[in-house]
Amino acid sequence: MKRPHHQGGNIMRPALAAGIAALALAAAGCGGSGSLKSGSSGSAQKGGTITVLSAGDVDQIDPGQMYYSFSYEIGYATQRPLFAYKPDSVDTVPDLAVAKPVVSKDGKTFTVKLRRGVRFSPPVNRPVTSADVKYAIERGFASSVANGYVTTYFDDLVGAPKQATSGVPGIPGIQTPDKHTIVFKLKRPSGVFQGALGMLITAPVPPEYARQFDSKTTSDYGTHQVATGPYMIQNSSAGKLTGYQPGRRILLVRNPNWNPSTTLRPAFADQIVFREGFQHPTVLTRMILNGDADANGDTPPPPAELRSITGNPSEKDQLTFTLEGGARYISLNTAKPPFDNKFVRMAVAYALDRNALRLTRGGPIDGRIATHFIDPSFSDKGFVQAGGSGFDPFATPDHSGDLRKAREMLQKAGFANGKYSGPGLTQVADNTPPGSDTARVVASNLARIGMRVRTISVTHATMFTRFCNVPKQEPNICPNVGWIADFHEPQALLDATFNGKNIVPVNNSNWPQLNDPRINALMARAETIVDPQQRFAAWARIDQLVTKTAVAIPWLWETFPTLFSSNVTKVPELWNLGAPDVTFMEVTG
Amino acid sequence: MTAYVVRRVLWGVALLLIVSFLTFAIFYLFPSADPAALRAGRSATPQLIAQIRHQLGLDKPFYDQYWIYVKGIVLHFDLGFSYQNDEAVRTQIRSRLPATISLAAGAFAVWIAVGIPTGVISAIRPRTLLDRLSMGGALVAISAPVYWLGLVALFLFAKGTGKLQWFGGAGSYVPLTEDPGQWLSSLVLPWFVLAAAFAAFYARMTRANMIETMSEDYIRTARAKGLPERRVILRHALRGALTPILTIAGLDIGLLLGGAVLTETVFNIPGVGRFAYDSIINSDLPSIQGTVLFGAFFIILANLVVDVLYAVLDPRIRY
Repeated sequence: MKRPHHQGGNIMRPALAAGIAALALAAAGCGGSGSLKSGSSGSAQKGGTITVLSAGDVDQIDPGQMYYSFSYEIGYATQRPLFAYKPDSVDTVPDLAVAKPVVSKDGKTFTVKLRRGVRFSPPVNRPVTSADVKYAIERGFASSVANGYVTTYFDDLVGAPKQATSGVPGIPGIQTPDKHTIVFKLKRPSGVFQGALGMLITAPVPPEYARQFDSKTTSDYGTHQVATGPYMIQNSSAGKLTGYQPGRRILLVRNPNWNPSTTLRPAFADQIVFREGFQHPTVLTRMILNGDADANGDTPPPPAELRSITGNPSEKDQLTFTLEGGARYISLNTAKPPFDNKFVRMAVAYALDRNALRLTRGGPIDGRIATHFIDPSFSDKGFVQAGGSGFDPFATPDHSGDLRKAREMLQKAGFANGKYSGPGLTQVADNTPPGSDTARVVASNLARIGMRVRTISVTHATMFTRFCNVPKQEPNICPNVGWIADFHEPQALLDATFNGKNIVPVNNSNWPQLNDPRINALMARAETIVDPQQRFAAWARIDQLVTKTAVAIPWLWETFPTLFSSNVTKVPELWNLGAPDVTFMEVTG
Repeated sequence: MTAYVVRRVLWGVALLLIVSFLTFAIFYLFPSADPAALRAGRSATPQLIAQIRHQLGLDKPFYDQYWIYVKGIVLHFDLGFSYQNDEAVRTQIRSRLPATISLAAGAFAVWIAVGIPTGVISAIRPRTLLDRLSMGGALVAISAPVYWLGLVALFLFAKGTGKLQWFGGAGSYVPLTEDPGQWLSSLVLPWFVLAAAFAAFYARMTRANMIETMSEDYIRTARAKGLPERRVILRHALRGALTPILTIAGLDIGLLLGGAVLTETVFNIPGVGRFAYDSIINSDLPSIQGTVLFGAFFIILANLVVDVLYAVLDPRIRY
């Protein structure tokens, strides 16, 4: 999932509450050390209150709409989707489901058995059935709920609407032969469907209770939601949330109907408080170090604090880092000159000083320099065997750029003296650091090969929603973009961002507007490969091909730091960019 | 007088309409984020975004949207719903009002209580060490941005983050009715931070006015009548010096609300100022509109009150 958007977050995805996507992350050099001390250390301590600090609010409070990383911290503590994650793994395990789905030979039917003994929190109180999971997914297609990803991951379901419907649609491709079995029928095999079953949209919603809210123009089920997880957002006897004060506080209390024997979550603490509005990351960091709070929610410690903490023997153990997740890159718009010319793009790839770019976000403490798009966290999936790791088609000494090669490329592009002499270029960038610093480095690097780059500085959200995500308005260069997968599948990294079929007039994430028939065809095939080894090999090849086109220049595989107080056990979620897993943390101090 | 007040109220309403129109226009004319795309999330299809745009009424022409908005305010005092969380803007402002009033009223009290006496003392002891220290300090306070001063205060004096953990820190605000002690502790630093520049400015202004007033004939007359110096200063000189200060104070209430945005953000006080900040970050137009109108309303009201008080303070003034 995604993380925050704060502090110059940039990667397209998270963000939020604040709006947009970002990979805010400051972070960490210890490249994925992450001491994942999951859960209890011997004698588990029950009770106590965990306090998590964040800058922003959840992007949505309705579990059927939640998307960004911070929301999942709350969503997974209160809801039980079919599959979920243990904090130390990037692979899903059964949660509401009893076991992994049974996939038919043709890869088009997924059968999932549900756990018995799971009940909704008050005021619903009844046991969960498969019909509740079916309704939860179907309501995502309703315009009153308007889930943002349902048409991306669930549109292969037989009978799935192509666009939002005026009521909750019945989807024939979701069948419930009995109260504890749900069957998904797909139009074609899908390599990512199983991953999508771990998203919060599969968490059950009781139709007889939710319909009154979902039938409004905009559903307010979110502020009347019921829980199935170990915790629930505090509510009144009628079901209205009292523990959610937008932008201020989210209070989780124990779900009285939770049955510990049915769950993977130990849920040690009695209460969890998410305190919001901490806009200054240094203040937030100091409060955690002083024990006034227990972990950072959506905003990581800033680079200066990270360096200070890692250099302090009494504090450094309170910090964890995840493995790299996703990549930041400089996107070149291939829909108009001069980046419709491959050699001009390659000249840019050679001219960029990736070390200088990384320094704009804190230097080596922030992660390794990226040389392609599928990040090293996939190395255990056969990606290395497929030739993915260590691949760098535009290698330069110390990643600092090679002007000689850049000029050679420009000569091949028709610029006889190896200097670009075409019209000036435009980039749209963040108006605050570190994104604005990155843009400045890009402009100065490209000036060395004769490219005059004019920078338009706007807010992060404006950069995406008015410029980089809108092909008609897109500048030559979008220097502050990047992508993190919704779940640990290479398709979730490369399909939205480089598949020609995904170029859309608004909310476009294929920023370079790459529309290469060969790559598109390879992706179309790879999307239907169900066998994991074959699928990863196919996507590894696509990664290499995309990187070689130089439509986007990757420069950072970012790591994600999380700071814990000395009063709790450190449990960062590896799958969720290091976010604290409050359901596994113990209060020890 | 009554006719004057009625006239001013009508002008105030017109001004609010102009402010709301300008806010609307700025949101549409200048590049700002697309609320429908923000709400839909990064994976949403263009169709879904179009649908959300329709639901939010953002697909209507600019003037239609404005007309619906104004109609809602005039007929139902309805400020609309937040794009971010669907909560009524009116409800959100109302729930945050006590925090902002606590901050602004306290800061106003600090600024008056510190600024005016400092100015008076400097004026009656001009060019002394005390005067130079006061005015030098004032210059520093005027020059220090609220945001920076807030962080310095947090890292020096706040519990959780400070070297000297004396007062409540970021996020420690609780309503007065819940815990008066905690309320006070959480607001001491924000009050002083928000009031600092104002207090400094008023100290300098009071000093200048007082020095000028002290050379007036009626002060000499008062002294010649044998009035005690204390009475001359407080009853005659200060009263004359305060009139122009009061006028400016009305205008400064608006600036105080501007400063409250930053102060509430730094100290994480859940007031209207932080709501305004969050709304701007999230391109949440109804919430931006609501908070701007709220600010404008109080500026207009403060100016009206000042104008009336002006007449009370200076009997020569009649409307």
